[in-house]
Amino acid sequence: MTMSKLDDDEAREFHVETKFQQYAKRPGGIPRDTAIVNAQSTVAALKPNFETWVDDEMARLLKVIPAEGPDLDTKAWMDTADLHCQRLADVSATMGYEFVSYVANNLCLMFEAVRRGADYRRDVMICHLDALALGRKDKFSRMKPEDVPDLTEGLRRVLESPKLKAKRNGP
Amino acid sequence: MTDKQKTTINIRGLTFLIADSNAYFSSLCHSILRGFGATRVIEARDADDARKALVQHKIDLLLLDQRLPPTGGLEFTRWLRSDPTNEFRTIPILIMTSDTRSTIVSNARDCGANMVLVKPVSPASLYDRLVWIAFNPRKFIDSKDYFGPDRRFKIEGYPNGVGRRAGDKAVDLGTATGPALSQSDIDALLKATRNG
Repeated sequence: MTMSKLDDDEAREFHVETKFQQYAKRPGGIPRDTAIVNAQSTVAALKPNFETWVDDEMARLLKVIPAEGPDLDTKAWMDTADLHCQRLADVSATMGYEFVSYVANNLCLMFEAVRRGADYRRDVMICHLDALALGRKDKFSRMKPEDVPDLTEGLRRVLESPKLKAKRNGP
Repeated sequence: MTDKQKTTINIRGLTFLIADSNAYFSSLCHSILRGFGATRVIEARDADDARKALVQHKIDLLLLDQRLPPTGGLEFTRWLRSDPTNEFRTIPILIMTSDTRSTIVSNARDCGANMVLVKPVSPASLYDRLVWIAFNPRKFIDSKDYFGPDRRFKIEGYPNGVGRRAGDKAVDLGTATGPALSQSDIDALLKATRNG
């Protein structure tokens, strides 16, 4: 580590070569293309578990969404539902379930809009839950949003409904 | 060193910590790192576990979820960078987030993170950012208000152009809230305030 002083005595800048940097530059590493192919193989080995995992996450999501009634107004359930949707969105795309990831991300956007003051729309929620269930079916599981443009556009329009849209990017 | 060598990293023998409450996402990153040749990958589900793992396993690089319980990955980064007695104060930190609003990205930078990685993570995006950290070391700044990699840095592109996105461009820092950013926008946000 070497250090040098800046003009401003209150700030200093110095060079650090971390162990990561020292080691990473050693010869004998795995070239990028090979490393990516290797990683895709190791990720593919997780796929049998993934289908169980995604079913569990969807079941947990459905469980926390209240039916019509007083629980609906508390919004407390929404944080848990949002967590499950984020997990689905974060993992599914990497595992090749891009449509599931898209729908789950839409739900995250909806929760964010509601947190910013938009009205909770149960019809929007139900619509997306149906799309999630569809995305989990074998026929749709490998599809990307662009492979089902009508469905994707329909979900987008529902999400962009005036009351939600106004709050999506609000303060 | 040739351009090809500059796109190849050797991570054998290094210890990685993935701190994320989502066990499945964590195992996904774990698998990706194994595919890259990593031999030691540790996982933590919350900040307490991550603190213990840092010391116990002598971590060399930290992959940190922005929402890591209980207070978030940015707070963890701030804690790690701000403690002058912490021997891991200067290790590379990648913040992983699916919340790509410009405020989150600029806060990550201001906490001292080296990189922000957008979820969902792909093997290519992770590899390129590890290469970037390895071959583009940045000076550290220690000031009254900040300790971490120099935030005023210019990236001329990934080594050998690898991973460069067509949309890479300099952008102004965003306002308090705003639309989500793409990975290339985030990379751009983290670069170039010195010399354009």
